[in-house]
Amino acid sequence: MKIVFRFILLAALAALGVWLWLVLFPGPEKIIRKRLTELARTASFSSGESDLARLAAAQSMAGFFATNGEINIDVPGRVQHTFIGRDEIKQAVLVVRSTLGGLKVQFPDIKITVAPDKQSAVADLTVEANVAGDRDSIVQEMKFTFQQTDGQWLIARVETVPTLS
Amino acid sequence: MPAQNPVEQLNGRGLSHVPRWLRIVVIGRNPKVTLARAAVLAVLCIVVFKFTLLHIRVEGISMLPAYQDGSAHFVNQLAYLWHEPRRGDVVSIRLAGVHLMYLKRIIGLPGETVVFVNGRVLIDGEVLDEPYEKLPCDWNLPPEKLGPDEYFVVGDNRSMPSQDHKFGKVERNRIVGKAVL
Repeated sequence: MKIVFRFILLAALAALGVWLWLVLFPGPEKIIRKRLTELARTASFSSGESDLARLAAAQSMAGFFATNGEINIDVPGRVQHTFIGRDEIKQAVLVVRSTLGGLKVQFPDIKITVAPDKQSAVADLTVEANVAGDRDSIVQEMKFTFQQTDGQWLIARVETVPTLS
Repeated sequence: MPAQNPVEQLNGRGLSHVPRWLRIVVIGRNPKVTLARAAVLAVLCIVVFKFTLLHIRVEGISMLPAYQDGSAHFVNQLAYLWHEPRRGDVVSIRLAGVHLMYLKRIIGLPGETVVFVNGRVLIDGEVLDEPYEKLPCDWNLPPEKLGPDEYFVVGDNRSMPSQDHKFGKVERNRIVGKAVL
């Protein structure tokens, strides 16, 4: 009985150790997942946003991207845009936030593949965006390419994925 | 010494104030059997609802009139275990995952050529009979040749302009299952 108890205690301690290790030193996948959740939260906004808040959000959004980060949106027959560099991305965010009355962005499905060298990663995800006042949500599959720069995971490229071609 | 009731054995004196009938209703006459039944039920639920039947809720009008906006259905993920998807099947198509999917009908099979002429669908030059399509359609679209692993999917409601409707070629590995119920 004593041995069983010791064994259970040891197993519990080992599990606690693993959990603590994962909390203190999260792997790239966990960090990227967290970054994406933050990105979705930053991209979302409600009506009545002040100019200062809008500017701060745009600045914050641009900060998720690498200096030469690129967004390539290509939905045939609907929209086709490319934004290169933080400044262009910031401007685009400002335009979107001043045009729309509100936006809620979510990533309900995220699939992350980290490169063997752990310096880059690809996140395939579904974007669900609800524009204030619109009943139907916008759904689009996208691919985010991350790269590690100075210990930070930054978005190098965002592109649309054609689910139906 | 009289034999103790299993319920009492398990709970000791802690639940002695709870009426016997209530204990039987909640944990049964034999708690061990109840526990085993609950475990079997839990495993069954996980197998059925995670690996076999996916619960979906339709959002939008692209599958009208067969699938109403807001209606709930199931997708059978094992439907294509023994055979490949067939023409006329309503299938769910995954995006990056299965939390948000498209619900569309297969009209074109691998290797076929699909074309829309004045709202009618032609498969390899032959008009496709579509009894499920009840709303008027006037689409004219260029021919699409499907690859060996591609299906052509489209919604039943083609009353809106084609630009406002999501449809087209989809790879086999994106088809999650067949809509049922």
